[in-house]
Amino acid sequence: MTGFPSENRSPTVGLILGLAITVSAVVAYSLYISRQISGLRALQNDLLDRDRRDSLQLLRIQNDLNSLALAMRDMLDNDEPYPLAAWSSQFQRIRADLEDALRKEAQVAVADRTPDQREYLRSSVAQFWDAAERIFVLARNGREQEARTQIRLSLEARQAALSTAVARLLVQNNESEERATAHVARIYDGVERQVYRLLAATLVAILVTGLYRIRSNRKLFAQLALLSDQRSELAQKLISTQESTLRYISRELHDEFGQVLTAIGSMLTRAGKELPAGSALGEDLHQVRQIAQNTLDRVRTLSQALHPVMLDEAGLESTLDWYLPAVERQAGITIRYEKPATPMTIDGEGAIHIYRVLQEALNNVARHSGATEVWVRIRCSALEWEFEVEDHGSGFVPQGAKRGMGLVAMRERAELLGGRLEWLKPEAGGTLVRLRVPREKLGGHGD
Amino acid sequence: MNRRSFLRGVGLAWVQGLPPLRRFAAFPSQPAAPGFRLVDVTASAGIHFRHNSGAYGGKLLPGTLGSGCAFLDYDNDGWQDILFVNGMDWPGHKRERTTLQLYRNNRNGTFTDITRRAGLDVEMYGMGVAVGDYNNDGYPDILVTCVGQNRLFRNTGKGTFVDVTHESGLGGRQAFSTSALWVDVDRDGFLDLFVCNYVKWSKEHDVFCSLDGTHKAYCTPEAYRGETCWLFHNRGNGTFEDVTASSGIFDTSSKSLGAAMLDYDEDEWPDLLVANDTQPNKLYRNQRNGSFKDVAVEAGIAFSAEGKARAGMGVDVADFENSGHAGVAITNFDNEMIGLYRASGPGYVDVATESGVGLPSKDKLGFGCVFLDADLDGALDLVAVNGHIDETVRNVRPVRYAQPPQLFLNGGGGVFRDASDDVGPDFQQPRVGRGLAYGDFDRDGDLDLLMTTNNGPAVLFRSDQWGGNRSIRVRLTGTKSNRDAIGATVRIFHGPFTQSRMVKSGSSYLSQSELPLTFGLGRFDRVDRLEIRWPSGASEDYKDLTAGRTYTCVERKGINSLLGF
Repeated sequence: MTGFPSENRSPTVGLILGLAITVSAVVAYSLYISRQISGLRALQNDLLDRDRRDSLQLLRIQNDLNSLALAMRDMLDNDEPYPLAAWSSQFQRIRADLEDALRKEAQVAVADRTPDQREYLRSSVAQFWDAAERIFVLARNGREQEARTQIRLSLEARQAALSTAVARLLVQNNESEERATAHVARIYDGVERQVYRLLAATLVAILVTGLYRIRSNRKLFAQLALLSDQRSELAQKLISTQESTLRYISRELHDEFGQVLTAIGSMLTRAGKELPAGSALGEDLHQVRQIAQNTLDRVRTLSQALHPVMLDEAGLESTLDWYLPAVERQAGITIRYEKPATPMTIDGEGAIHIYRVLQEALNNVARHSGATEVWVRIRCSALEWEFEVEDHGSGFVPQGAKRGMGLVAMRERAELLGGRLEWLKPEAGGTLVRLRVPREKLGGHGD
Repeated sequence: MNRRSFLRGVGLAWVQGLPPLRRFAAFPSQPAAPGFRLVDVTASAGIHFRHNSGAYGGKLLPGTLGSGCAFLDYDNDGWQDILFVNGMDWPGHKRERTTLQLYRNNRNGTFTDITRRAGLDVEMYGMGVAVGDYNNDGYPDILVTCVGQNRLFRNTGKGTFVDVTHESGLGGRQAFSTSALWVDVDRDGFLDLFVCNYVKWSKEHDVFCSLDGTHKAYCTPEAYRGETCWLFHNRGNGTFEDVTASSGIFDTSSKSLGAAMLDYDEDEWPDLLVANDTQPNKLYRNQRNGSFKDVAVEAGIAFSAEGKARAGMGVDVADFENSGHAGVAITNFDNEMIGLYRASGPGYVDVATESGVGLPSKDKLGFGCVFLDADLDGALDLVAVNGHIDETVRNVRPVRYAQPPQLFLNGGGGVFRDASDDVGPDFQQPRVGRGLAYGDFDRDGDLDLLMTTNNGPAVLFRSDQWGGNRSIRVRLTGTKSNRDAIGATVRIFHGPFTQSRMVKSGSSYLSQSELPLTFGLGRFDRVDRLEIRWPSGASEDYKDLTAGRTYTCVERKGINSLLGF
């Protein structure tokens, strides 16, 4: 018996280790990505989005300042049939929007706005509206020419200064946005690198785990094949031992006990002839001779059952010709026997295994099926022999591990012949046991 | 992420946060077939108007923007007549004499040109028209906006009109006026006049613009300075006082093309909505003291959802959700889609995209637009006429100069369906649409459409209903209120449904629809209750009105019905 190689170990530990490494890598990467995304979100909320909102408000302020510039231009053009004071409502409308924009801009202004910048913007706007109010007062008082002069000298200059200040803030925002964008780009680059690294590490882990698994599987398959061979070898030895034992017992019964009983019978016959007719002893001798004859018959029957000598002497076909009628008589079932028209020349070990398989199948029919009729078919094709035992009884399906020794032996014998054994269910019910054996394993012919 | 995509994201997030639109018409969803056809009956009706833009190759800015049209009952016979505004040849390029054209309804589906007899064969570079009985004599008068001097024609009541521009106090003003409307802003019973002006333009200072860098094209308004709208207060003695400055309307940045009256804050004082081209729209809230305050920005209607000032052209206001709160439609330039605003709290929300109006209108340049119940199912539908401003646009962009008009059927639940191809082949023809008005010229209880095209023929579409829907029409006459009852609100209740309409002048683009109100009733054959809120503040209730009739109601004097429409 060959033992397992000592270096064989369970692959579970290695596989769990690989899984742990992979999971750890994914968890570590997830944590890394989460941290980067949090950083990006913070950057966008705190810097980029705020910067954009601030720029939007600055653009709105710029737009209002431009509207004021256009209104002042219209006021100075003096081509409307309305007094300067008519522009008051337009100025108020722009002022309302401008102050709203300034308020919102102050709320979202970027962090690096200096106090001086804030103060300059606030005071410039206040001074502009103060100047505008004074100009409208002049206009309402009928001093339109003086008001226009003030617009030209003061208001336009204040508007231009404000516009410049806002433009400067927009440029500043743009620079800040560019810095933040560059920072974001660096984060994306880092994340991209990490993604590639994780991808490479994952691929390596998958490769290593896969190779390890393949190696483990190959070892397992080799072990399974070895076990199967060992089991098959054991079974063959068991069957061979069984057959030689049965043959020996059969021959002993036939030769030794048969001859002894035959001699006893002859001696009793001769002794009986020497006694006077009608003596009581003669009657007793006759009864003993009958017992000896019955015993001889039973010994011969048992010998045939254990190992038909006929198999060795006349081959499978003759044995079956003898055996099947015997089964009919003993089991009380009708056997429909079909065999090739030409003589079958199957003998030797092959004949024994075939005989045993058919014997076990017929035993199962007799014991379990409840059938009163059974078909035994033997066919021979160019490639294989086919042996079938079919009944239409209660049916029989081998139940995996629960199958008995008889079924195990049938399968082992089939494998010894290099054949295949099947249990099938005929359409009419019952069981069909079919044994297919390659022709070269049995030799002979039947066609 | 650039600024544009950021703003788009903000806009989408804002729209997605809105409650679902549930207050549209509660009528059963309409079938695939609209139940009516629009048939071009222009020629068979005897209408031969053709707009003269004066185009001679100079591509002068006003040449691409005219003109308007109106349904009016100038002779008070109960049948809607038609007025077309016309341009003229530019000095130095005189080819023909073209004037306004007034068509009298012959009451048999045809019209007769009575321009000369009515005294309206006046040559002017006309743009738009507003019809209103400013002197409360019972006959509608006509204000024609022009490039140059606007004209006010007083209806003598004898089938003729007299030019009273100067004696009314409207003379002596040169501008590029566009849409106009009559509205009693101070509720004194006399209609005041609101006039939109586009830009400061003169033939001598026309700017060279080009789409392809070589050939002159019509300019967009960025090339010109804005011009304030005007508000004229009716003194009640046939003269007007310019209150533009004192009312707070004065704004030299505006480039206005369309105007509509509405009651934005539902205080029963008329407010004014102005569609501006490349400038923020203006919503002037009436402060009940003769002054107005622009609240367009806080109302959410000044800009698009992306914060852009679009090229507003035509505008209409109506309760298209049957919620009792009026929404707004504004046509815009191509690639800007129609702005469809639903009333939401104190302001508006643009629901063009989710309503199904936005995408089909995105490649159209819209001008006239009106809400009307085209299929009489009780839910106001939307019609817009389209056409580009320059025929060379096709050389630089995949946009056509002539574009088919569009009909969006209101299916309720906030969803409109573009049914332009389902109402007959006549409506599908591409045209360079400008003005648009509706009116029931054949008195069959449904609304017919009148459209003008730039430098081309006008088209009269007769609505032929076959779906079996019913309607009632209401004609109001004010006594304490202005005689036309402009500003009155009528609400009807039938079954579980409610509808409301306002009698209004203006709206659309350069045009005016009829003053009588038409309510589609679907399969209902009765109206349980009809409520009128007069501009004077009085209210009246009437019950059990029968479908298939026109009801005439005189303020404080009860209601009468005609047998039929």
